[in-house]
Amino acid sequence: MGLIMVTVISEAQQKFFRAAGTPHDPKVEIAFNRYYSYEGLVENLQKINQAYPELTRLESIGKSYEGRDIMMITITDFSEGEANEKPAMWIDGNIHSNEIQGGEFALYTAWYLTEMFGDNTFIQELLADKTFYIAPSINPDARNNYFMEPNTASSPRSGMMILDNDGDGLAGEDMMDDLDGNGSITMMIRKSPTGRFIKDPQDPRRLVQVEGDQKGEYEYLGQEGLDNDGDGRVNEDGIGYYDPNRDWGWNWQPDYVQRGALKYPFTLSENRAVMEFVMDHPNIAGAQSYHNSGGMILRGPGAEEDVGTYNRDDIRIYDALAEKGEEMMPGYRYLTVYKDLYSVFGGELDWFYGNRGIFTYSNELMTSYLYFHQNAGRGNQEEQLKVDKYLTFGDAFVDWTEYEHPTYGTVEIGGFKKNFGRAHPGFLLEQDAHRNSAFTIFHAYHTPKLSVMNVQENDLGGGLKEIIATIYNERMIPTHASQDLKYNIERPDYVSISGAKVLAGYVVDNEDMKQYSEQKNSPGKIAVDNIPGMSGVKVRWIVSGGNSYTINVDSAKGGKASWSK
Amino acid sequence: MKKILFTGLLLAAFSLPDRVMGQTDYPTLSEVNSRVASIASNGSAELITLTKTEGGEDILVLKIGTGNMDEKPAIAVVGGAEGFHVLSVELALQFAEKLVNDHADVLEKTSFYIFPNMSPDAYQQYHSSLKYHRRGNTMELDHDRDGEKGENGYTDLNGDGMITWMRVEDSLGEYMISEEDERVLVKADRSKGQSGSYSVFMESKDDDDDGKFAEDPPEGIAFNKSLTYKFPVFEPLAGDIAASPVETRALLDYLFEQWNIFAFVTFSPANNLSTPLKHNSSEARKRVVSSILAGDQKINKLVSDKYKEVVSQKAFQQTNQGTDGDFFQWAYFHFGRMSFSTPGYWTPEFGGKSNAEANYLAWADSLGWKDSFVPWTEINHPDFPGKKVEVGGIKPFVMVNPPFEKVGQIADEHTEFILALASMQPSLELYNLEVEDLGNGLSRVSVDLYNNSPLPTHTELGDRSRWLRKIRIDMDLDDDRLISGSKIATLEMLGAYEKASMSWVVRGKGDVTLKVGASHVGFITETINL
Repeated sequence: MGLIMVTVISEAQQKFFRAAGTPHDPKVEIAFNRYYSYEGLVENLQKINQAYPELTRLESIGKSYEGRDIMMITITDFSEGEANEKPAMWIDGNIHSNEIQGGEFALYTAWYLTEMFGDNTFIQELLADKTFYIAPSINPDARNNYFMEPNTASSPRSGMMILDNDGDGLAGEDMMDDLDGNGSITMMIRKSPTGRFIKDPQDPRRLVQVEGDQKGEYEYLGQEGLDNDGDGRVNEDGIGYYDPNRDWGWNWQPDYVQRGALKYPFTLSENRAVMEFVMDHPNIAGAQSYHNSGGMILRGPGAEEDVGTYNRDDIRIYDALAEKGEEMMPGYRYLTVYKDLYSVFGGELDWFYGNRGIFTYSNELMTSYLYFHQNAGRGNQEEQLKVDKYLTFGDAFVDWTEYEHPTYGTVEIGGFKKNFGRAHPGFLLEQDAHRNSAFTIFHAYHTPKLSVMNVQENDLGGGLKEIIATIYNERMIPTHASQDLKYNIERPDYVSISGAKVLAGYVVDNEDMKQYSEQKNSPGKIAVDNIPGMSGVKVRWIVSGGNSYTINVDSAKGGKASWSK
Repeated sequence: MKKILFTGLLLAAFSLPDRVMGQTDYPTLSEVNSRVASIASNGSAELITLTKTEGGEDILVLKIGTGNMDEKPAIAVVGGAEGFHVLSVELALQFAEKLVNDHADVLEKTSFYIFPNMSPDAYQQYHSSLKYHRRGNTMELDHDRDGEKGENGYTDLNGDGMITWMRVEDSLGEYMISEEDERVLVKADRSKGQSGSYSVFMESKDDDDDGKFAEDPPEGIAFNKSLTYKFPVFEPLAGDIAASPVETRALLDYLFEQWNIFAFVTFSPANNLSTPLKHNSSEARKRVVSSILAGDQKINKLVSDKYKEVVSQKAFQQTNQGTDGDFFQWAYFHFGRMSFSTPGYWTPEFGGKSNAEANYLAWADSLGWKDSFVPWTEINHPDFPGKKVEVGGIKPFVMVNPPFEKVGQIADEHTEFILALASMQPSLELYNLEVEDLGNGLSRVSVDLYNNSPLPTHTELGDRSRWLRKIRIDMDLDDDRLISGSKIATLEMLGAYEKASMSWVVRGKGDVTLKVGASHVGFITETINL
């Protein structure tokens, strides 16, 4: 074995020189400068799983609307404890089908953790302590539709159910029409004597409005498409329009309050699969749900009505993690959904936190800051034209081309392709995937890590002994969020002692002042409400006998710890 | 979803239950199911099994109608919202029986969906060897959120086959003997200088040794606490996520596909028929609407007036106008339909007693009912050594379910009420159809669409919902014949006795067809001769 390793390393040394922080000779080669269909993502997960059977398990957690498997890879050091007994990090991507790169970013994390494990001490310790559950695409049907069927950068946002979007009693009777056959739905313009636009003589891709006293040449007609049902509107009843991120069971509201909601929480099988997995895995203590775009680290609440759900103690932890994230991901800003963005009921991040007490962020991937390291703003057309001229060399834009339209006559079709704007151009994908992965690793690192320390014994005479132990949480996230404590979402942490006869048991409120809360029932197994981050709790027993005893800590979100004398 | 159409041949396998003749008590679940099957043997009824509960019981719906029943306005009648409310199942069943046997003419204009029992798991407790007020299904649930499921239920301490109450003599207790009836315990009002002398618990032991009694009974989620409107998250009998029981989801999935339901009548503890819901403008204006809207309050008032005209019992202490997560409020607030609920029965005011239990006992005594109270009797309770513990109290079920012989009249009156509601349903009619010759082969077609009903076509809230269809107006003719007017148009709603005028300019000769309607208000088709 050792010999083989040496051989491999020496071959690699001949061809590659290690760049810091990157797997330089990975077993699984994945190009992180392109996007993968559902099948592509799954194939890569399978390769990772086959290459690292001792670090991964690959499973389907449920089926999509069209029957695809929602694939989820578990990553941990399986030789160090049970995966579902370690504090865990949930990562998913692509809940909005057009917000594709969450799939690649989540895949990158899986790839990075497994490929770095062999020679990086930090990752080894991380995977000894923690479990990652990674589902790169929780909307696989419409992910493929986005890639393979005509779409804009914003469609479809839903899954593949087809509803009656325009309320005329028919479903899906006026879908997108790819008139120029290039897979992107762009814009239509037409020459018109009353038009107020001209093509910029210095850059004919750009339509500019003429001065008030000037005559224009073109008018905008809107999205590339046809009026298929004869109701005077174009592309108004396609796939969707429901929103998978309005389908979660925390303060869920119906469609007339929260547009995009369906019938009840978890109407969608994809979300139900995630919910059921999370309910079955109370060890999940942190979560990330990737979206695009704009460069944001979002936390809840999604709606102002839920402000009381997030209290000061938890917000302090959210702030500490995300402020570090802002440093790790230049151009990303830490924001709160309801006040910095818009109001959302039934969003995923609110369910994870409000219903399960899991510290959760949604990163809105891709920021235009990454283009020229300037804050030109989201969707700045001037900047985008410049990007396409100097960085992507025209590959992101469909030049205006004439088309004979059945309703409008001669039109010109053109504009930015669907893979530009919200999605990263290839050359920015790997770097931003790494930075976001590093943030989720930091987040996972700060899920609780418990240890038993400072076990003190005091002889009380008469064969009685006092034992005081400190249960320390070495990380920032507590075993129970304040939301969890408010509703008793998760069971308490148990600190038990075996090997001594327990006569009384206490939680220590103030050791110096000898203030204790006695637990009369089952004093050998003290129920502790919470073990706060970077801090600890003390327990006290009065025992007789017990020259060798063991103290065990058992926490759903904090994992297990043990100490023996 | 399994559809069962009962043919005559299959029917022979079922014996027709003699529902009125032999019955002296509320039916068992199997009797309910065989009566449902018997109703389904009628040509106008279809029986559909929506799902099975965790306890393995069928959730059934009888769809009753004639002709194109999906295009006629429909009323949904729901029983068994609460498992302990066995009367509600009987009322839904008797309505269905009377409908198909005695009132089939109503089906010309109205279709019906009858969900006889939404809580079959809990319903069975009425006939079980241990009787108690049960709400939950058979899902496993950790009601007290201590990490263990169903670890401290009830114990029949006096061995009488039912769960009543236990009172413990306790100078620190919160309860005292009621001044209105010495059998009744009431909370001492400390603001009036009263002190308690009893602690009161459900009849139980502290099985899990945590100092609490019957705090985690071995039952699951209550249907009538599982819906999405004001879902009481994390509360006992509700669970963590709205609509988590399979029966709740199966019902909702089904309802979301039945576009023709315009109104619900639910037999459940809530009552908005004796008194209509009250509009509160600030709650109604909120984004998360939490008061009936002003226009819909008028509907509720109108229907409530009809209820009081038909149903003889006068309201007394009918203060429950909805509880969090219940079905009746869901049908309005989250489904946008007209929604009415009544318990069907309550104890009338008797003898000037303000306490509901004292009032019930006084009334029961006056009628000579022997089966209403378990006298307080001392027992030895292992959790209260040295203390006097007595078991007793009003028997389960009796305050919400009358003796069975009373049900006939209640069912007759409530059937009459539902039929009266059907007769009020929105009804589209066309008036003033005119064809004017404009010359050169052009004609102007104009018509008034009229809602000949005291009820609007849409609730004000339903008008905001995508799950209640707009009125669609289709003028069926070739594109090149239409000079003006829409081929397809939608109309948001028509109020009570309101009209909308429409016109088209059409070229050429030949009949054109105008079709107007929506599933929940019916469709009308008119051929216009040009």
